[in-house]
Amino acid sequence: MRKVLRKTVLVLVAFTLPLILLAQVNVSGTIADARNNPVSGASIKLRNSTTGTTTDANGKFSLTVPGTGGTLEISSVGYQPQTIQVSSNSNQLTITLTDDISNLNEVVITGLATGMKRTNLAHAVATVSAKSLTGTTVQPSLDGALYGKFSGANISANSGAPGGGISIKLRGITSLVASSQPLFIVDGVYYDNSSIQAGLNLISKAAGQGSTDFQDNPSNRVADLDPEDIERVEILKGASAAAIYGSRAAGGVVLITTKRGKPGTPKIELSHSIGVQMQLNKLGQRQWDTAKVRAAYGAARVPLFQSANGQTFDYEDELYGNKGIMNNTRLSVSGGNESTHYYAGITRKDDEGIIKGTGYEKTSFRLNVDQKITSFLDLSLNSNYVTSEADRGFFNNDNTSTTLGVSFVSTPSWVNLFSDANGNYPNNPLAPSNFLQTRDLITNRERVNRFLLGSSVTWKVYNDEKHDIRIIGRGGIDYYTLNTIAIFPRELQFQKNGNGTNGASIYGTTITRNSNYNAFIVHNFTPNERLNFRTQAGVTAENVDQDNVVTTATQLIGTQTNVNQAGSVAVTQAKSIQHDRGFFIQEEFNYNDLLLLTAGLRGDKSSRNGDANKLYYYPKGSVAFNIHQLAAWNLPAINQLKIRAAYGQSGNFAPFGAIYSPLVPAIFNGNTGSLIGLTRGNPALQPEKQKELETGLDVSFLRNRITLEFTYYTKEVEDLILDVEIPSSSGFTKEWKNVANIRNRGIEIGLMAIPVSTNDLKWTSQVLFWKNKAKVTRLDVPAFNTGAFGATLGTYRIEQGKSPTQLVGIGTTDQKPDPTTGLVVFDDAEPDFNLSFLNNVTWKNFELSVLMHWKKGGSNVNLSTLLADIFGTSPDFDKKTLDPAGVATNGAYRLGILGSSAAPWIEDASYFRVRELGLSYRIPKTVLKNIAAVRVGISARNLINIFDYSSYDPEVSNFGADAISSNVEVTPFPSSKSFHFNIAFTF
Amino acid sequence: MKFSIIFFRYKTLLMVSAICLMWTACSVDTILDPNNPSADGIIQNASLGEIQNLVDGTESSMRDNLNNYFDGVNVIGREYYRFSTSDPRFTSDLLGKASAVLDNNTFYTTNPFAARYRAVKNTNILIDALTNTKATISDAQRKAAIGYAKTLQAHELLMVLNEQYANGIRVDVKDPAKLGPFLTKDESLTAIVALLNEANIDLKGNAALLPFSSTIYGGDGNTFSKFNRAVAARAYVYKKDWAAANTALTESFFELTGDLNKGAFYIFSTAGGDQLNPLYYPQNSSGETRVAHPSFVTNAEAGDNRLNKVSLRASAEFQDGLSSTYDFFVYKTNADKIPIIRNEELILLYAEVQAQLNQNVNAVTAINRIRVSANLPVYSGAVTQAALINEILKQRLYSLYGEGHRWIDLRRYDRLVQLPIDRTGDDVWTEFPRPATEQ
Repeated sequence: MRKVLRKTVLVLVAFTLPLILLAQVNVSGTIADARNNPVSGASIKLRNSTTGTTTDANGKFSLTVPGTGGTLEISSVGYQPQTIQVSSNSNQLTITLTDDISNLNEVVITGLATGMKRTNLAHAVATVSAKSLTGTTVQPSLDGALYGKFSGANISANSGAPGGGISIKLRGITSLVASSQPLFIVDGVYYDNSSIQAGLNLISKAAGQGSTDFQDNPSNRVADLDPEDIERVEILKGASAAAIYGSRAAGGVVLITTKRGKPGTPKIELSHSIGVQMQLNKLGQRQWDTAKVRAAYGAARVPLFQSANGQTFDYEDELYGNKGIMNNTRLSVSGGNESTHYYAGITRKDDEGIIKGTGYEKTSFRLNVDQKITSFLDLSLNSNYVTSEADRGFFNNDNTSTTLGVSFVSTPSWVNLFSDANGNYPNNPLAPSNFLQTRDLITNRERVNRFLLGSSVTWKVYNDEKHDIRIIGRGGIDYYTLNTIAIFPRELQFQKNGNGTNGASIYGTTITRNSNYNAFIVHNFTPNERLNFRTQAGVTAENVDQDNVVTTATQLIGTQTNVNQAGSVAVTQAKSIQHDRGFFIQEEFNYNDLLLLTAGLRGDKSSRNGDANKLYYYPKGSVAFNIHQLAAWNLPAINQLKIRAAYGQSGNFAPFGAIYSPLVPAIFNGNTGSLIGLTRGNPALQPEKQKELETGLDVSFLRNRITLEFTYYTKEVEDLILDVEIPSSSGFTKEWKNVANIRNRGIEIGLMAIPVSTNDLKWTSQVLFWKNKAKVTRLDVPAFNTGAFGATLGTYRIEQGKSPTQLVGIGTTDQKPDPTTGLVVFDDAEPDFNLSFLNNVTWKNFELSVLMHWKKGGSNVNLSTLLADIFGTSPDFDKKTLDPAGVATNGAYRLGILGSSAAPWIEDASYFRVRELGLSYRIPKTVLKNIAAVRVGISARNLINIFDYSSYDPEVSNFGADAISSNVEVTPFPSSKSFHFNIAFTF
Repeated sequence: MKFSIIFFRYKTLLMVSAICLMWTACSVDTILDPNNPSADGIIQNASLGEIQNLVDGTESSMRDNLNNYFDGVNVIGREYYRFSTSDPRFTSDLLGKASAVLDNNTFYTTNPFAARYRAVKNTNILIDALTNTKATISDAQRKAAIGYAKTLQAHELLMVLNEQYANGIRVDVKDPAKLGPFLTKDESLTAIVALLNEANIDLKGNAALLPFSSTIYGGDGNTFSKFNRAVAARAYVYKKDWAAANTALTESFFELTGDLNKGAFYIFSTAGGDQLNPLYYPQNSSGETRVAHPSFVTNAEAGDNRLNKVSLRASAEFQDGLSSTYDFFVYKTNADKIPIIRNEELILLYAEVQAQLNQNVNAVTAINRIRVSANLPVYSGAVTQAALINEILKQRLYSLYGEGHRWIDLRRYDRLVQLPIDRTGDDVWTEFPRPATEQ
């Protein structure tokens, strides 16, 4: 290797020798970090020109500078940039880079094919690095790993079920019926994040009374990504940053960049973590006596209670008390030479849940390859295969008392549900199902096989001192098969003897084939040292093709679960197909890093719109002004002061099918007829449009030791789509229409500081604060209640001039209900504010990281308590803490209010949580005979949780990722906390 | 140098613009609904199979929400009580208990209304599909088929008018974006009759087979015309146009001595996905049930075999201050058919028309046809128009019990006050309110 290099240098020298005569300066040397390790892949660039190179695996570089020399800018991710003056030939340069303790110099993606230094950005972009993503503790899934690590988001786990399931809302509600979830893009490939229902409604009948939405608690597919593969995550929170993603970006965009190889000897990393998870918050059980049994279940049940002879069972421990063992093994190999870089990683995860029989297994394999094909052509390939299996139990709302959660709260501790020696379970005398039997016999599994392939080609068309023209082509395919397997054997209490359908086997298959392609031309033009223009233009194409088939077999034959081994089979199929085409142009102007202007326009057309060929335009524009770059600046303590403003628009499609007026099947007389559907499609429907204006101020003090980012935004989401009631004499009862606007306003403050930085001790700290307020600013239809289970128990209400997440309900006269609607506004689901606090301390070889998160305010509709009260099992049923008169027990008090006020069920869901805590010790390679560096550590998730909320966890959603109507709890899978021991080897 | 800069920028721009233009010019194919047939597609050019689907869909939809229609009409007409533990409004709102009134945004008002108009919408789609289809059907078949669709549409509109009465209804509902006006009660009825007559022009004497199979009445235009005229006879009677009603009857399937149950029916089955008879409850059900209004039994003449339409309960059923010892038991199984219109009604319409035309002998003949078949002695009351009408209304109660006529009959003779009031403060409503979404 050395020899080859020497030869190369020789050839180079020989080749370049004659050129010296033509007024040139040749420089070469080594770039190293503070610990004298070579820095590979660092960039060396002549200021304000396109002349530049990168260091090789040994940190070496050589460069020919035309003219009489100039200023070289040296930069590399994770280090502070440096400049050096060169005016004469030099081949012994040694440049030492110091660690960048702030993140001001990272490059942030600002175009579809280009990036920009953070210091020059005109909008706030949140980034989460690999270190902050997975550096502290093991992450169950990517969505879970994002909590509290950036501002401007409400992230909420839907339940504790293994395999994920999360709702992310960036800067508030952006839709009423369509999704408010962001768009995920992994290395340029659109990453499907569907939540697909498993068809459990057949058993739970959750949709039907009170609510028409399915409540199967599915996971969402972004959970398939392996957090260990991720180099960094960028979050574009609103249209001002996400306008370039056009018609699909109203919920924001999450850009994920995976790890890539760097030149050098192969780097092998092997790590393993073993952990245990347990129920986060135990509630306890009610204590019983004869009088209480009589009051709760009637005198007829007293003999049953007495026959138990005082024996009780700790069912909370039995059901939720499993200590789930968690194993996570990771092996990665990366490296490369000058022209080829590779990164290969494999992760094997096997987590047991806190309920017997539940768990999550995942194997993910990734191979990323970068290849310089010729001097002007680069190719980059990403591939990822994931296979996973999640056993998620059976939870959430039902109308049949069959879910584990509902059955659990309907059963007092003195009823014996355990099976006999032959494995036969007794019927639950007080409820339609025996939750121990259900737990042991049912299957509710999601099985995923997913391929993700992406590639990009960069063709450097032309390059001289002032011009650099590149054409970039990118494409990717996201393909997965999801099987949902739900099996309810016929011996279940709720399936046999005329209850239920003598067993059910529900087998769903979803095949998703998404692809996207785009091509860009980027022209960098540097007319002189102070000016830079960057023009880019390109075309985009995205295709979505999802096909969901659910086969429901009932009247099962014996213990068979194949869907043909059944007396009755029903099949449903739902397809969703979409083709989008668009273009994008953008012009960036940089005057000496002082003034930065950007203007861009995206145009999109889509088969999801009534007129598939109508172009919808999404413009953007921004300005950033680096005051500290003014020649007159003379405040050395403040090394950056930037004011910025950005404006942009983005869109959101109507729910799939909203443009169609379908004929639906109607069975008649042995034939299938066609009958007009109840909802009238609207081909004239406009996409929902978001317009966001963001302004901000960034200040850095004391050589970037303290950085403050302040952002204020207003985003107006217009033409929100709703299925509106129309005169039914039309033959339809509803029609899709654009009827509402919502305005979100908020502030985000980020404070990054390095209070201590010495050779042995370094402390970095990050405080994030964010707050959002939403308001319905237009509503063309009368105010209406939506989400949850109606006004008696608390519901959302969409009303002009009010927050779209206000929680209302019936109320007593002293709660002053509105005279016309009879409704009281109790609270809002939106938090007052969020505050997160991330600290990282390294002392010699020790490292300690702590992530704390405080969510203040925001209420949930908690119906777990209601159900427990109704069945008399609430742990606090007999306490007397609620009744102001001190007479009624809590259970009796709450039930007494049922029907006259919704107040007891709307509960403050504030929490303070130590989300992540990690302590590790690094054993340097030198200690272990240069074989490997070792890192050992212990970590914990959700170690400390403080909240007043009366159920398992205030972070919960019965309705999954629905736009409105999250923050509702009905007997969910309880969430967990976990402890891990980690060991990692780097060879 | 300057030149080259300009040149490059120019070239780049040109290339980019060219690509953009090419790309945006290339069109995105409109994707048809991948999950369902689209109404628009079928309207443009339906195959015979698709027309059959629309016919089956229409005949199926005519059954939708009949439970709420019949419960509304029959409970207000004091034919039976609808007891429901899950919904108290059947015994409060429908009977006008205390201060309860009919609500304009509650299922009993809105659901039957919407269901009938949905069927109307389907007939409009069917008419368009028949008009535009390029399938091989003769002109005579096309006419017969459109006549069929218009007849069903008129029947559905008459059902809406039965409940809306003085509010009047919309008849022109072809364009959902531009719904026709609400006509007055009389205009509505006139428009329905006109629609039936328009249909009958295409049906009467048209021997062409319908280009689909139908379960309503017959398989060719002329036979179906007899059903059209039966519905027309009912509408003319509601309109008090006795002469026209008389003509319509003679052109209908009316047969004085024929089978009383000849006619057109809603059909039900236990097959998977099909609808069950929504008015069936097993005998002695409690909680959710229909029980006969006590007056039906107490006012019956001795020996009337039509009392087999009710069934003595093992124990009386109570709810909301009401009680009955008899179940409503017109339908003996959950797959029994429900009449749309049948010969027994036509015989009684004939009797009424003859009485109104002062053809009392004919009226008495028809009354006796009914009385004898009900195991009653021949009519021995006064042979005056007034007495005969009283007798006919009573026979209609027993012959057409539970089929949705009592309330409408008493309303057309301004005799709603004769309906029994069971609880102090109960009301007898004249019509349902216009649904909230139509305001």
